[in-house]
Amino acid sequence: MSTRLTPMFANDFDRSFDLFDDFRRQMDRLFGDLDDRWAPARLSPTQLSASTWPRVNLFDAGAELVVTADVPGLTDKDIEITLHDGVLTLVGERKTAVPEGYQPHRQERGAYRFKRSFGLPAKVDPEKTSATVKDGVLEVKLAKAAEARPRQISVRAQG
Amino acid sequence: MNNDLSKKNESAPARAQKEDDRVLVRPRVDVFENATEYLVVADLPGVTKEALAVHFDDGELRIKGTRAGASPGQPLALEARVADYERAFAMPDGIDADRIEAELASGVLRVRLPKAAVKQARRISVRAG
Repeated sequence: MSTRLTPMFANDFDRSFDLFDDFRRQMDRLFGDLDDRWAPARLSPTQLSASTWPRVNLFDAGAELVVTADVPGLTDKDIEITLHDGVLTLVGERKTAVPEGYQPHRQERGAYRFKRSFGLPAKVDPEKTSATVKDGVLEVKLAKAAEARPRQISVRAQG
Repeated sequence: MNNDLSKKNESAPARAQKEDDRVLVRPRVDVFENATEYLVVADLPGVTKEALAVHFDDGELRIKGTRAGASPGQPLALEARVADYERAFAMPDGIDADRIEAELASGVLRVRLPKAAVKQARRISVRAG
């Protein structure tokens, strides 16, 4: 079951953030075509809201699955990643604050406490996983279990 | 309070879809001010120092960042497309352009724009005559 993010405080800039909203609507439409294998955490357009944070992408790299997420401002210490029964869960918090002694003119960067879970579309080996955070992007690599890896079937010519 | 950083002072965003199907988005920013400087904070995940350009020209602060586009594999589910970032602000007068500093860490850019000395509030000490 996927969990929507809860913004720690509501703000109204989302409504005026036209371009970004367009981008999100495109993404939402894209989601309507998603592969069912993303189940059980398959997101529907209604679940993917403006406050969905962080946005997550899933890739199949042959021998492994790769999950990426934009987490600007976070380091590896700020994100807890668990894998249980084929469900990957990301938990963490991004804090934003007005620096001491400053007045805010605009604050668009949201503060989020997040928990997102994703059912993985292939069986993975829990012992062979790695996660890095670089330049504000989380990348989780999950090696597929041997039986889930692609195999090259050699075809011999007959006769 | 100085309100020069309202939306009307922001240049129109480029809406054009780029040729290679990458999208251009305005990064989310915070803008703060204290007695001596303005501080602009922008979320630019995936952008390295080499792929980032920060310009200050004629009172306009412009931030442009490009992400590395290499996909780690065949996409199975995408909530976010690889996007490039661009945003510009008309800053209030009285910025000391020579002392602007920018720092990028963990995908977050911080630009400090010091106010020229003449704009800074000063306390005038009064001596007894």
